[in-house]
Amino acid sequence: MNAQKLVKMANEIAAFFDAEPDRQVVLDGVAGHIKRFWDPRMRRELLRWLDEHGGEGLKPTAIEAIRTHRDELVPRA
Amino acid sequence: MYSVKEPDAGTPQRVSEESVTLDVDGVSVTVPAGTSVMRAAAEAQVRVPKLCATDSLEAFGSCRLCLVEIAGRKGYPASCTTVAEAGMKVRTQSDKLAKLRRGMMELYISDHPLDCLTCPSNGNCELQEMAGVVGLREVRYGYEGANHLKQEKDTSNPYFTFDPTKCIACSRCVRACEETQGTFALTLVGRGFESKIAAGPTDFLGSECVSCGACVQACPTATLMEKSIIDKGQPDHSVVTTCAYCGVGCSFRAEMKGNEVVRMVPNKDGHANHGHSCVKGRFAWGYATHPDRVKKPMIRARITDPWREVSWEEAVTYAASEFRRIQAQYGRDSVGGITSSRCSNEETYLVQKLVRAAFGNNNVDTCARVCHSPTGYGLKTTLGESAGTQDFDSVEKADVIVVIGANPTDGHPVFASQLKRRLRQGAKLIVLDPRTIDLVRMPHVEASHHLQLRPGTNVAVINALAHVVVTEGLHKEDFVRARCDHREFDKWKAFIVDPRNSPEALEETTGVPAIEVRAAARLYATGGNAAIYYGLGVTEHSQGSTMVIGIANLAMVTGNIGRPGVGVNPLRGQNNVQGSCDMGSFPHELPGYRHVSDPGVRDLFGAEWGVQLESEPGLRIPNMFDAAVDGSFKGLYVQGEDIAQSDPDTHHVTRALEAMECIVVHDLFMNETAKFAHVFFPGSSFLEKDGTFTNAERRISRVRKVMPPLAGLADWEATMALSNALGYPMHYDHPSQIMDEIARLTPTFTGVSYGKLDRLGSIQWPCNDKAPEGTPVMHVDEFVRGKGRFVLTEYVPTEERSTRKFPLILTTGRILSQYNVGAQTRRTQNVVWHQEDRLELHPHDAEERGIRDGDWVSVRSRAGETALRALITEKMQPGVVYTTFHYPESGANVVTTENSDWATNCPEYKVTAVQVGKVNEPSEWQKRFAEQARQQSGLLPR
Amino acid sequence: MNVSTVFVPRDAAALSLGADEVAAALAAAGHQVIRNGSRGMFWLEPLVEVVTPAGRVAYGPVTPRDVPGLFENQTLRLGLTEEIPYLKKQERLTFSRVGVTDPLSLTDYEAHGGWRGLRAAQAMRPAQIVEAVVASGLRGRGGAAFPAGIKWRTVLGAAGAEKYIVCNADEGDSGTFSDRMIMEGDPFVLIEGMAIAGLAVGARKGYVYVRSEYPHAERALQAAIVAAQPLLGDFDIELRRGAGAYICGEETALLESLEGKRGMVRPKPPLPAIAGLFGKPTVVNNVITLASVPVILDEGPQHYADFGMGRSRGTLAFQMAGNVKHGGLVEKAFGITLRELLYDYGGGSASGRPIRAVQIGGPLGAYFPESKFDVPLDYEAFAAAGGMIGHGGVVVFDDTVDMAKMARYAMEFCAVESCGKCTPCRIGSTRGVEVIDRIRVGQRREANVELLRDLCDTLIQGSLCAMGGMTPYPVLSALDHFPEDFRR
Repeated sequence: MNAQKLVKMANEIAAFFDAEPDRQVVLDGVAGHIKRFWDPRMRRELLRWLDEHGGEGLKPTAIEAIRTHRDELVPRA
Repeated sequence: MYSVKEPDAGTPQRVSEESVTLDVDGVSVTVPAGTSVMRAAAEAQVRVPKLCATDSLEAFGSCRLCLVEIAGRKGYPASCTTVAEAGMKVRTQSDKLAKLRRGMMELYISDHPLDCLTCPSNGNCELQEMAGVVGLREVRYGYEGANHLKQEKDTSNPYFTFDPTKCIACSRCVRACEETQGTFALTLVGRGFESKIAAGPTDFLGSECVSCGACVQACPTATLMEKSIIDKGQPDHSVVTTCAYCGVGCSFRAEMKGNEVVRMVPNKDGHANHGHSCVKGRFAWGYATHPDRVKKPMIRARITDPWREVSWEEAVTYAASEFRRIQAQYGRDSVGGITSSRCSNEETYLVQKLVRAAFGNNNVDTCARVCHSPTGYGLKTTLGESAGTQDFDSVEKADVIVVIGANPTDGHPVFASQLKRRLRQGAKLIVLDPRTIDLVRMPHVEASHHLQLRPGTNVAVINALAHVVVTEGLHKEDFVRARCDHREFDKWKAFIVDPRNSPEALEETTGVPAIEVRAAARLYATGGNAAIYYGLGVTEHSQGSTMVIGIANLAMVTGNIGRPGVGVNPLRGQNNVQGSCDMGSFPHELPGYRHVSDPGVRDLFGAEWGVQLESEPGLRIPNMFDAAVDGSFKGLYVQGEDIAQSDPDTHHVTRALEAMECIVVHDLFMNETAKFAHVFFPGSSFLEKDGTFTNAERRISRVRKVMPPLAGLADWEATMALSNALGYPMHYDHPSQIMDEIARLTPTFTGVSYGKLDRLGSIQWPCNDKAPEGTPVMHVDEFVRGKGRFVLTEYVPTEERSTRKFPLILTTGRILSQYNVGAQTRRTQNVVWHQEDRLELHPHDAEERGIRDGDWVSVRSRAGETALRALITEKMQPGVVYTTFHYPESGANVVTTENSDWATNCPEYKVTAVQVGKVNEPSEWQKRFAEQARQQSGLLPR
Repeated sequence: MNVSTVFVPRDAAALSLGADEVAAALAAAGHQVIRNGSRGMFWLEPLVEVVTPAGRVAYGPVTPRDVPGLFENQTLRLGLTEEIPYLKKQERLTFSRVGVTDPLSLTDYEAHGGWRGLRAAQAMRPAQIVEAVVASGLRGRGGAAFPAGIKWRTVLGAAGAEKYIVCNADEGDSGTFSDRMIMEGDPFVLIEGMAIAGLAVGARKGYVYVRSEYPHAERALQAAIVAAQPLLGDFDIELRRGAGAYICGEETALLESLEGKRGMVRPKPPLPAIAGLFGKPTVVNNVITLASVPVILDEGPQHYADFGMGRSRGTLAFQMAGNVKHGGLVEKAFGITLRELLYDYGGGSASGRPIRAVQIGGPLGAYFPESKFDVPLDYEAFAAAGGMIGHGGVVVFDDTVDMAKMARYAMEFCAVESCGKCTPCRIGSTRGVEVIDRIRVGQRREANVELLRDLCDTLIQGSLCAMGGMTPYPVLSALDHFPEDFRR
């Protein structure tokens, strides 16, 4: 999967939560959305990007959300 | 003589708490107050002769055949225009009345051709019938007097003729055009004997006529007559079914001669359309038997190979073996399916079942992805259910109507007629649209406010509206406190009152004057029942889901939800887009919008289906393309959707399709996607199968088979065959059994069955023990999710914005006579109205580029380039250009980009930065397209 | 010749006979010329009146050549205007100021009793105004003779914040001109009447629908509306011009036309009083009806009711035209006979030949033979005699008239002017012309006469409005009273 596209998509999800004052809601919201709507191979690629490229291009909230909820985002084997 | 005409009570039904009892010919009858004497008589099974009266139109009183005697009244009042009163004694038959009626009929026939035996209306003509009823035996005036028998027939409309020699000047057509359709194209010209029906200054085709057929339907003679009836004669039977075009879901009677449709007539008992129709459903059904229909299955190993016609068995076996081969080679998740919003609920259900149970993954999606997926997300998030809140009839109780990013007069014409009628009754209209759509100003309709926003700034405008409502204290605090989550509301309130959301702060962004936004907000919040209707101008944006949420927020904060006359109403694009979503077509949801991660739901389906279901969401359509390019997605079963034409960024889509190893296209025609396919399953049209469609108001209606499938198998049968070949057994004898399975598994469908559909005509889900006859209006006492949820809707500008290189914004839409990618309508005579897609632009933008009306212009974006002819119009605002996308060679999607809604990946069709300039030849893509079309047609069997 | 104050009418009838030229000549001679309305004696127009200490002295008919030495011209001198028997014998309530005042002078209007009715009404409650009009017995002068007060009562009682007063000034009946004379000769009285109606029913907007053939009336009324508007409080009057359709004088077709639609008859009910203009409760009254209201409010309903006979109270402005010696306007209390009108006022036929037939009530009115000339002009008595007074038009024919041709004309008029909505009127009228043609040439005469009578029955009983319903009256009356004309 094209990582750049996934980065863009993750950033757009994060941007939706920009106005949310509660940090926990933001992190749960971003990660929860990815978990509920992204096919495993997309999540795998996003995590790979985070691991191998330090999440280059990802918004800080996106990075934090993915890191916080990493376990839930890893697809079942 | 067999007549397929429906009974006609003469004047419209009245609704009243009061009732009156009167006596008609000795029969006592009780009717609602306001009912005409004619209708009361009909209720008493007394038929009063009539010609100008019909129960779809208000009484007119011109033919004078319906005269009656009423005890205590002078003269002979017309029963159509006389209101029934308590205690009235009505006599409908007497020697005097008989003489008067014969006198009237004698006058009619003195100016009418005597060609009954060769007339297309023969056997189904009200004039002929009435002449018999009144016992006309001679015409003492003779036939040499002045008459209208030498006038010319107007055959300009492709579907019906206007023969003024047969006209009795009853004005039913004129009134239908006004009252039923709201177009005001027809009129009576001239006085006295010279009074004549006229359509504009020239003929029907040259007039404002939108060819809805209401006039033809209303005509009591052969004056306005379908050409199909002239050619084929009167039908011998009829079958009630549902239109397969837009999301209005009109009920029709297919009028038949044996297996052949001779006419489609809107069903008076249709709950969505009440006897009205548009040019598509009424007339444009000829595609179903068009010679382009593919009638045999075909296969080929490579897309450069010629197609080979094979038996269903061979085609199905080949497809199954390919899918299994691919799965063995690339993994279980390397194949998927796309369900069709044009197919029935049952067929859609089977395709998703095939993907989940036979493929064993969740890689199923539907064309709703590219239209209303944000509706599903946004409404589920805020209100708790992925569907519109009202029935269409609700609009009749609305005082303020807001139309956002929708063009109902083109896209949803039959509902638009109902909406316009309400506007003519005095409801106020607010339009949010970058274009000056027809509703902004048309005969007897004018918007109070047209917020002509810049494309892509929807969320800014909806926030500004909500800001005004809350800061000016116009919100319904009591409703919010009683019905919504307080914590979420308080958080939202703090967000929305922030000055950055004020209309003044956003004016520069949206281009809408703050004063207009404020006025519109006040009207919406304080004007009585306020209803929002919206279309793809809301959803097809990078913030499509946010906008849907913003709309729901606005409706909740003003208490405009949970009763007739209000609500949030998505105008669904295709006939069964609501149904395909309901049926579990999304990769993350099982039927009934239940997430695949829910083990309880998985177990329920798993037990019924006898499989273990995958708990992870599958790929959405754009993700499928990405995965295909990436090499991890290799096989696709596409039913009834032309993704190669309808999905954005054609270059990318093409690359993805070329990368796949087995594409099975299941369609009526060799579409654009089929050029990349390896297996072709010939589809069946809505006339060839049983099933159900669910329209924009959650209304489930029956589709009934009127002819055998041209290719031998209905779509559900083909899917079943493929599943069986894949080794996952499916066996249904009839689609009703599929619906029974759906009902067993889906709480909102528990009470639905074909038996009940036959009894009630249609059912709006939820239909279960709590609502055994369905649910016209949702969220009445509480929201489906419990408490209504306000969600913050920060305006995030799209990345797609005008630059020096691409200074204009392209937005897209469709037109009345054509339907989506045009596969059906381009194969009908509807092309008379729309032969090509044009690029609409403002005179200022045209002038700057030296473009004249009709010039060929290139439209270039960062994604690609195409060429169209220019149409210069002030409907556009400067800086914004527009095109329809009904012709593949137009390549509208060559230009659109991969941008999409943050939540659902619904493409951002409505905003593309482009440059436009004069050209002399087609774009490179168009040349390649033409070449490919030539090659592919060479590969078809002769 | 001494410099005098002279009156020269600005009425269209006078203008057509050269009143402007006469006025110019008088002004050139140094006289102070006032343009008044017409006194309604058309055979004397242009009628010039000179103010003298004894009163206004009339001369007529005057041409510009007569102006030098006019005051000495004994041939043209008619004596004191008020003493001319034609005028003196009239009972002018509605037309009391017409011909007397400068129609556009508010001062004149005030000085001659203007606005007194409105002021009286302003001191009354709406229901009181309505009951005063009911008590006066005033009936619609447009033709249908429906009691005006009852109509107003319905509108007053109808629910709705928005109501309208519509003045029907589409005076289309042949040989009628009383509406025009009011609009040209005393427009303020119509405005006052409308304002009173507005107070009575709670309407703040009035429309006057003037036929396009009345440009002078339209101009005079428009100027009067502008001048009077400040005196009307929040009542606002707008003038609308018709487009030459006779049927738009029918109240529901008029409302359609006012709404901007094709002038087509609406079925009644709903009555315009309940659902009229734009669906709102509406008073639709003729010019004369409304112009008679101020005097009723001013002098009290009893004063008005004291005139007339039976259920026809007050006065009617009869208009004599056609083959009559002294054509013009005669306002008389109901009860006068046709014979008195024709001979005592009209002076017999203009041709000097015997009067053979008279059509009363416009083109749809019955033709009366001499034997019916003694029927009193009273709505009920006239109806009993098979006629209708209608708007009060009286058209006179001498013994050279071909009544079969007149019957044919009635059908032809209907064929041309029918709104085209209902079948009997739309097709029946044309068939009527054809059947009469056959009768006239003696083609199967008996059968065709029977067919004509059947057709008339169909029209009378089956038509949607009075247009088709009354077209048979002139036809049947011609057939009944002058059968010999159909056998030539």
